[in-house]
Amino acid sequence: MERVLLARVGKKDSRAIDGYIADGGYAAWKRVVGGGLTPEQLTEEVKKSGLRGRGGAGFPTGVKWGFLPKDTKGKPIYLLCNADESEPGTFKDRLLMEEDPHQVIEGVALSAYAIKCQTAYIYIRGEFYDGARILDRALAEAYSKGFLGRNIMGSNVSLDITVHRGAGAYICGEETGLIESLEGKRGQPRIKPPFPAVHGVFGCPTIVNNVETLACVPHIVNRGVEWFSKIGRNEKNTGPKLYCLSGQVNRPGVYEAPMGLQLKELIFGDDFGRGMKGGRKVKAVIPGGASANMLTAAEIEDCPLDFDGVAAKGSMLGSAAIIVMNEDVCIVNAAQNLSKFFSHESCGQCTPCREGTPWLHKVLTRIEEGEGRVEDVDLLVRICNQMANGMTICVFSDAAIAPPLSSVTKFRDEYLHHVEHKRCRVGAKAAMAAV
Amino acid sequence: MSSAAPKPPMVPGGGGAPSAPAAPPPPQKDTFTVIFDGKPIEVPKNLNLIDAAKLAGIDIPHFCYHPRLSVVGQCRMCLVEIEGIPKIQAACTTPLKDGLSVKTTTEKVRSSRAATMEFLLINHPLDCPICDQAGECTLQDNAFGYGHQLSNYDENKRQFPTFDRTMIGPHVIADMTRCIQCTRCIRFTQEIAGTSELTFLDRGGRTLVWTHEGQALDNDWSGCAADVCPVGALTVREFRFRSRVWYLQKTKSVCPGCNVGCNVSIESKEDVVYRFLPRFNPDVNDYWLCDYGRLRSESLNARDVHKATLRHGNSVQDAVVPVAIHRMAAEIRQTVDGTGPSGLFFLGSAHLSNEENFLLRKLADHLACANRDVAVDKSRARKIKRKSDWISGDDAAANFRGARDMGLTPGKNGYGLEAVLSGKASPEVVIVADADFAAAADDPEKVAALRKARFLAVCARTANALTRAADVVLPAASLAEKEGTFTNVEGRVQRFERAFLPKPPSRATWELLLLLALELGYGDRNWTPADLLAAIAKEIPPYADIDPKDLEGGRLLKKGDFAWNGTL
Repeated sequence: MERVLLARVGKKDSRAIDGYIADGGYAAWKRVVGGGLTPEQLTEEVKKSGLRGRGGAGFPTGVKWGFLPKDTKGKPIYLLCNADESEPGTFKDRLLMEEDPHQVIEGVALSAYAIKCQTAYIYIRGEFYDGARILDRALAEAYSKGFLGRNIMGSNVSLDITVHRGAGAYICGEETGLIESLEGKRGQPRIKPPFPAVHGVFGCPTIVNNVETLACVPHIVNRGVEWFSKIGRNEKNTGPKLYCLSGQVNRPGVYEAPMGLQLKELIFGDDFGRGMKGGRKVKAVIPGGASANMLTAAEIEDCPLDFDGVAAKGSMLGSAAIIVMNEDVCIVNAAQNLSKFFSHESCGQCTPCREGTPWLHKVLTRIEEGEGRVEDVDLLVRICNQMANGMTICVFSDAAIAPPLSSVTKFRDEYLHHVEHKRCRVGAKAAMAAV
Repeated sequence: MSSAAPKPPMVPGGGGAPSAPAAPPPPQKDTFTVIFDGKPIEVPKNLNLIDAAKLAGIDIPHFCYHPRLSVVGQCRMCLVEIEGIPKIQAACTTPLKDGLSVKTTTEKVRSSRAATMEFLLINHPLDCPICDQAGECTLQDNAFGYGHQLSNYDENKRQFPTFDRTMIGPHVIADMTRCIQCTRCIRFTQEIAGTSELTFLDRGGRTLVWTHEGQALDNDWSGCAADVCPVGALTVREFRFRSRVWYLQKTKSVCPGCNVGCNVSIESKEDVVYRFLPRFNPDVNDYWLCDYGRLRSESLNARDVHKATLRHGNSVQDAVVPVAIHRMAAEIRQTVDGTGPSGLFFLGSAHLSNEENFLLRKLADHLACANRDVAVDKSRARKIKRKSDWISGDDAAANFRGARDMGLTPGKNGYGLEAVLSGKASPEVVIVADADFAAAADDPEKVAALRKARFLAVCARTANALTRAADVVLPAASLAEKEGTFTNVEGRVQRFERAFLPKPPSRATWELLLLLALELGYGDRNWTPADLLAAIAKEIPPYADIDPKDLEGGRLLKKGDFAWNGTL
């Protein structure tokens, strides 16, 4: 497939506005601002394109925009671009922002226009210092060219975009946590309802969209709904998608492919991962970032990488971060590693998550270090089941239990080996123990 | 049951619930029909689900929810099943609506609550034997009601070095090892006190509540932060380690600190007052109590005057109360027979009850004496947040308004305290119903002015310049040792009850005054404060609506311009 989102990545001066304009950039914005599409028409286009949120939940973007109240009672509408990309294994938004910032800005601008928003924020992960600088520079260019500001290009359209840097909390990628953080408060998810579309940032109607989602919008405007919705496996999973491939593959990286690419193709295809390092076997794959359930080698057969395809396998596409683990990876070690992340990142407001995530990490650490007991394996399952399905305000704790729960279920024998033999069955530690 | 302010009991069928579940009120427009465990009940629309359940006699356990604080839904204890929603839901965050069907007894509810309890307890030190909150700890109660007996937690418990047993303000000690991160205290300082000293630090399992860098939890209501704390993480320094709470007897009373008249619960054991806790009254102090008032509790234990004393020339001797009163009556009679009633001066007190001041006034009337008065010191305005707004008062005593209402102002051709102190009037006999009536009582110059009288008698509990100067000192009871009513700054008549009997020979001031009145041929020895209040209701027009049998929550006085019709 031709590159769409990544078309300009790798080009010389891909960040500069002149190059972007020369490549046809801001044409969509000019057309729309010039009256080519009304906000309602644009929203309808996005709805028809079948674009689904690329941040993880896969919610139809146009439908989300439709949740805004018709009468906002004089309150402004805000668009927040969620650039708090922190899911372990995910690095696609960073690439988009750092290599082709104007594509993101144009996407933000078009979406803001569609929802009649005059103030948009790009909430960028604090660690993405370069990304924030690059976006700031790009915004300055866009302002100087007259693409942003008051009465853009002589129209009655006005839009201001501000880059806001986070302060290093994963939970601020959750949309209400992001809103709280943007308001200057502690990044803690809010109770829903009310949903952000009704009561979001500063108490005003708010839409939060992922960077990649917004970056798709200019292409929908430029090339049409027909073109966009034809890309992809079926009409429910459309458009180009960025896949973040990592782990023990020959060529990890960000790859663009139509929605619904086969997982095996991504790992083994010549255009993609080019197979496992050293020809080792696949043991497990995490298909959607740390929050997704692990898949076994058997499960990756015929697994189309789209929202419904991965869901059918009992996991989720999430942020499309595919982490591949070979047969030398100790699953307990992997689960312990991920549980450390979740234990560190829980915001601490809900009891089950605040107390459960460190507990999981402690138990997994004990098992990993050879101090585990047989009961601990069932204890892990019990703790996990006590944390999910409505036990907390947000879905963080549902995400936190995915690695331990799926690994205990699918690789129980490895856990039992750990508690019985007090050491790993595979991996570097096993090799050390054997010596 | 809970450490927090005295709210309606959480026990099913508890006496304090505003309405009984048995007879649902007729359907009105401003109610919803909510079905609890299959039983429909009408509830007001603006209620939280937890409070609505209470009306149905159902106790939904919770930690972070507080009726006056914003709903955060983060303790995850109040979990219930809502028909039509597959996932378990927090009751406090579920909006009420017509036809809402709530299930509180299913297996899923039970196991989910047990799960939350298990998570709450894994890092809790379980140091109940040395924790002051034990006995009024929500965590203890809910663990007993909804938790497991045994723990599966085999790791080291979380510690908070340098954040344990630390004074974070003048009255509050924090111990973060006990904290369950419910944020009630944080929300109290933000939403009620408006001072925002407290905040969450760090995140995840390391989350702790502390003051902002360099700040102390130092506001006028800091003790309430400890009140709302459901566990022993925040405790009031002054009460720490003084008594196990289950030994304390609770008595409904009114704070003597100022004329706001906050409702308090006197907590006492073996005739010693240990503390005040706020007593819920949405019209006055709601769930709160200021630190100044809270710490008045200790003053109730002070006693210097243990016996009646009589002065013979320069020597002061102990006497029994009847003898001392006999002497007072003799002096009064002598004056009335000599110079006449204008030689008498009666001084009431803003610290005394309406009944006591009323009796004093009636005694003066009986003797045809118009020289009567009451005084009060002004303090800085003290305020408290009630349900709707702030209420404030700046009297240093609880009942100046009531004392004035009882008619303790100079009558026709009579004189008041000012005239006596300035020397314009020189009474022969001065009867001071409360030796601690104002700061003037410890001012040598002013006491000297009162002492110019031939005979000076006072009722007193603590010693001061006035008691040292007096000819007769009668041992009077403290607030905890008597019952009566106070009238607060906005004209609300509120009853306080007796926690324990005064230690003989001291007696309530109304008893001492009644004994004196009886000697002088007035009154009935069977009178009680309730009889006196009934007489007040009969005689003093604004008090006409006051029903001594029904003073729960206090009664506002009738408004209007009334004249005292002081005849019996």
